[in-house]
Amino acid sequence: MKENTPIRVLIAEDEALLARALADSLQRLWPQMQLIGIASNGFDAVTQALTLQPDVLFFDIKMPGQSGLDAACELTDQWPENQTLPLLVFVTAYDNHAIQAFEQAAVDYLLKPVNEERLRQTIARLQERLKNRTGVANAEEIMVQTLMQLRAITPKTAPERLRMIRATVGNQIRLISVDDIVYFSAIDKYLNVVTVDGEVLIRASLKELLVQLDPQQFWQVHRSTIVRVDAIRSAQREANGKLFLNLHQRPEKLAVSRLFAHLFRPRQT
Amino acid sequence: MLLSASRLQLFARELPRSLVPTLIINLLCALLVTYLMHVGTGFGENLLYAMCIGLTAMLLIDGGRLLLWGKDNPHELGFLLMLVLLAPLSFFIGSLIAASLQGHPASLVAISQTHNTTGFIVLTLLACVGGTLFYWNRQKMASLQARNTAIEKQAVIAQLQMLQAQIEPHMLFNTLATLQTLISSEPLRAQQMLDQLIHYLRATLSTSRSEQTTLGQEFLLMEAYLGLMSLRMGLRLTYALHLPDELRQTPIAPMLLQPLIENAIRHGLEPKIGGGSCTVQVTQQQTMLIISVIDTGMGLDSDAAYNKPASTHLGLENIRSRIDALYGPLAELTLTHNIPSGAMAQLSLPMQVLLAE
Repeated sequence: MKENTPIRVLIAEDEALLARALADSLQRLWPQMQLIGIASNGFDAVTQALTLQPDVLFFDIKMPGQSGLDAACELTDQWPENQTLPLLVFVTAYDNHAIQAFEQAAVDYLLKPVNEERLRQTIARLQERLKNRTGVANAEEIMVQTLMQLRAITPKTAPERLRMIRATVGNQIRLISVDDIVYFSAIDKYLNVVTVDGEVLIRASLKELLVQLDPQQFWQVHRSTIVRVDAIRSAQREANGKLFLNLHQRPEKLAVSRLFAHLFRPRQT
Repeated sequence: MLLSASRLQLFARELPRSLVPTLIINLLCALLVTYLMHVGTGFGENLLYAMCIGLTAMLLIDGGRLLLWGKDNPHELGFLLMLVLLAPLSFFIGSLIAASLQGHPASLVAISQTHNTTGFIVLTLLACVGGTLFYWNRQKMASLQARNTAIEKQAVIAQLQMLQAQIEPHMLFNTLATLQTLISSEPLRAQQMLDQLIHYLRATLSTSRSEQTTLGQEFLLMEAYLGLMSLRMGLRLTYALHLPDELRQTPIAPMLLQPLIENAIRHGLEPKIGGGSCTVQVTQQQTMLIISVIDTGMGLDSDAAYNKPASTHLGLENIRSRIDALYGPLAELTLTHNIPSGAMAQLSLPMQVLLAE
């Protein structure tokens, strides 16, 4: 990247005053920076980022709609395969656990109220990264690694391992053993539980389900999909670069997002 | 085996504590024998006997207690039996010691032949019972005091936790960040916001410590809080507070209303993309005071058990147990859906109990 190319920045922050303040500070400390948009919620952040293709993102963690972390995951999923992923800086007012994770993560983070000296450091770090950015693969590696680390903040300790899923069908409650499940897919506030011979909706979130499942038996392969490992027949990369799973006993194909593609990379010996 | 090192330590610690009461009882006995019962050759000799008998009794009984039961409470029947056996024994041993101290030829026969032996044994027994009662009383006082201290400590811890829960760091730091921004760009608004923050912090810190406040004061606090939030959330938050003048002075416990409004903001309006409104109103319906907090936010999760007694929602449960303790079984907190969107929390409190406080 040349010295005089403007660095295009997108800010996602629900509090207008704080968004404006961050934009002003950035403008003052980083003349090369060009603000291309301010998103006011977690969904808007993804939409704007996909349309505007910024070089750098500043995402607030706590936003209406979805969190900055979820927005970043969704963005990584939907980002065109042949484009370099933007660099990401998280902004947060207070979050004990997240801060610990940020310190280990490859990505930078800022604490509100933002200190100018600290912002200068962040800018220096970003400039360094932008200079050394070589190709799509490297950026993706960094982003995926970071987001995986940050996702790990959510409690991993399951209260109890789930053996059965209870689903209400009409006026009866069906019990489905987790061994019979092919995959779960999230639809809005519901989960679609898919078995070999049918599917039922249950009211639960993928997040709360995930911690109750055996990580050896079930893998999350997409923001909205968890699949039973034994039910996977093969993974296949399509012409557009997207990865899909073929299943043993179901005809449909399941999309694998970038965050989880590493699960299907051949092991190097 | 009984005399382990820890037992010896226990002896060294406990026996001296019984010494002063024993000496006092001995003195009383000597006075009683000399001036009321008119027995013996004089106060001096009687005091010597009383001291010897009393101290022997103390060593035997207290020592026996520590030996048999250690730090635990003695077995009642066993202790009584020990008392009945050891009191006469102490009388004889103590008398022997006293006699030999005086240089008299001492023999058990001589002692048992002095008149009034039975009376003295009974006196010794009574003195021992007296000493025991004193001891038990002291133990009871000590354990009572320990319990009171524990209760006080718990109350302080609960209050601290409540404070921490109340002033949520996320809210505080975001407000400070906004202030930092406004200071340079709009100093007047910054000043106004700082005033509100000070008012909110002061009120939150002081009301959570005091036991009683008024509805009027609670509403001032809520106005400060909502003012802060609306500065931050901008057009995403509108709010209205309705409190009839005649209810302004109604006494109410702090931290009942505030958590409901903070919930409405934190769980209802802050996460909602378009934001919404928060309305707080107080009405009197016959004998009940009704406080409603209505928001048009995200609404309730239909599966969650907000209104069941063993609700998992800690904040609500906390309020429920407090209103139950303060205002009795008529007081209640309900959480319902607001039409068309959002949630409504309603506190119903019996007017009579509120005013009686």
